[in-house]
Amino acid sequence: MSSIIKVEKLSKTFESKERKKGQRRKLKTVQALKDVSFEIGENEIFGLLGPNGAGKTTLIKCLTTLLLPSSGKAWVNGYSVLDEEDSVRASIGCMLMGDRGLYWKLTGRENLDYFGALYHVPKAVRRDRIDKLADLLHVKDFIDRTVETYSSGQKMLVAFAKSLINDAPILILDEPTVTLDVPTARELRTIVKELNESGKAILYTTHLMHEAEELCNRVAIMDHGEIIALGTPSELKTSLALDDTLDLEGVFPAKAVEAVRALGGVTRIAMKSTNGGRTSLSIISRSGGTILPQIIEALMHNGATIEQLRPKTATLEDVFIAKTGRTLDVDTRQIVVQRGEPGGGP
Amino acid sequence: MEGHSHGFGLASPSWRANLDVVVTVLIVRLKVISRYKGSLVMEMFLPVVFAAMPILLGVAVGGANAGQYFQANTGTSNFKLYMLIGACTFSVVSIMLWLVGYWIRREQETGTLESIYLAPARQVYVLTGVTIYSLLRALLAFVVSLVIGSLVFGVNLLEGNVLGAIGILMLGMLPLWGLSMLFGAFIMRVKEANSVINVMTWVVSFLMGVFFPITMFPPLLRWAAAIFPPTVMNDAMRASMLNLSTFFGSWYISLAVMFAAALTVPLVGYGVFTFTGRSVRRKEGVGQY
Repeated sequence: MSSIIKVEKLSKTFESKERKKGQRRKLKTVQALKDVSFEIGENEIFGLLGPNGAGKTTLIKCLTTLLLPSSGKAWVNGYSVLDEEDSVRASIGCMLMGDRGLYWKLTGRENLDYFGALYHVPKAVRRDRIDKLADLLHVKDFIDRTVETYSSGQKMLVAFAKSLINDAPILILDEPTVTLDVPTARELRTIVKELNESGKAILYTTHLMHEAEELCNRVAIMDHGEIIALGTPSELKTSLALDDTLDLEGVFPAKAVEAVRALGGVTRIAMKSTNGGRTSLSIISRSGGTILPQIIEALMHNGATIEQLRPKTATLEDVFIAKTGRTLDVDTRQIVVQRGEPGGGP
Repeated sequence: MEGHSHGFGLASPSWRANLDVVVTVLIVRLKVISRYKGSLVMEMFLPVVFAAMPILLGVAVGGANAGQYFQANTGTSNFKLYMLIGACTFSVVSIMLWLVGYWIRREQETGTLESIYLAPARQVYVLTGVTIYSLLRALLAFVVSLVIGSLVFGVNLLEGNVLGAIGILMLGMLPLWGLSMLFGAFIMRVKEANSVINVMTWVVSFLMGVFFPITMFPPLLRWAAAIFPPTVMNDAMRASMLNLSTFFGSWYISLAVMFAAALTVPLVGYGVFTFTGRSVRRKEGVGQY
């Protein structure tokens, strides 16, 4: 595989001041990226998955030259992000901040023309390209209105068009379907696939597992600034093949959960609160169906109420749960290390 | 979509491409301000209101002899035009001095600063476009407010060298641009503009001697103010329009100070601005505020 993005041991550390009531300000070191390495092929859609705070956006900002890494190296389209910033920028079409990043007092067309100029797209080409993008993304009806009059979805579509204005070989899309309605999100995913088929490499971040499974050739799952799993979606799911995943819904007191956790063969448990005081429980076990009666007994014996029980095939979210013991919709706290303390956990 | 592309802007951009960046940035800024018409109108009336306060105070205190008292310290009895030039020049200084700082802040808040930094266009061309826009806006505000002020206060603008004053104004813009980049670098670092500008506006107007000659200052402050580029510009403009001598006594010295500032301050400003941009990217990033 010929790689268009190559990342070698990339790390990023932030320093921030933490102020607690009645205490002096302390300088904290936040390690947002920790020795991240991977490669993306020329014709790949590469998914970057992980909860908020996992380090996805920091990684993307390093690759797009918005942030300088603390250590490590990265090349985009063969150009170093440290030394060849202009060429890296020209190689990327980027959608980073959702519907932000547009001038609200300008029309969609004026925005695209402006950013086209910043990417050195010649004026005549710009005009033609904006028309083509307006057709492709079905934004013709509102592209000549000022952005302040757009709905969130319309702003996202124009922001997506902005990422395509320079016709770059690499597209970096950070949660591009957030705020889009279901049909528009589906249409956008179809366009992303078409762009990939036309030869663009795509780095796609999302926290929606079904989106990653549908689109990505390979995915990297990030947590606490590290890549904890990397492979094709089927490879990652197959890695759980020996495990069974059981989803339950109901009311589960803490002692019931602990009783299940204590059973031999149970490898991971993740809990998620739902409406009305109910809880959803994902149990990953290594003993096939044979452990099911013991799980039910342990729960019932400890005061749990089971309302639904369903075994399921592994998903990418299960991969994340298996690796971290948490669900993806739980925000990850970044690794915070007090200054002077080496290492340290969350 | 069309086939595989290698992206625009990968080759070293031509002068035409860089000029396109400057012109597009300028046009976009003009379009945006044209959609806030009230703001432009207010900008032209503000210096007149600003000058009216000390003029009316002067008339109230000095009565018919106000001009005579004023002449003793300034060399001219035309205190109305003296105040008006100070207020109009200060308006130009305000627009130019805070332009990069306000631009950074505004783009941070709208989320467009990161989009600008994501593009391969060099910052110097983007800043040039923003500066030309501010220059046009400042010149328009200066000329219109001076004309309105002359009508309101009944002063004759043509009694001095108006063209010379406009030449001084143009020369004085260069160090202001440099100072503006220094201030922009500071805003990029501290992520806060309004309180700094609120304080600095008064400090700058004080140092410039907007309504009084800086010869009124004690010696140390007087010389500190005298080498502050906006003060030199204000002093030279008054000298030109009111046929006065400059603070330095000779025209040549005033012009030499202005040329020296015009050559050095923008270079220092741009150097500090780019250094700060890289330093901020090493820390939390340009978009954080």
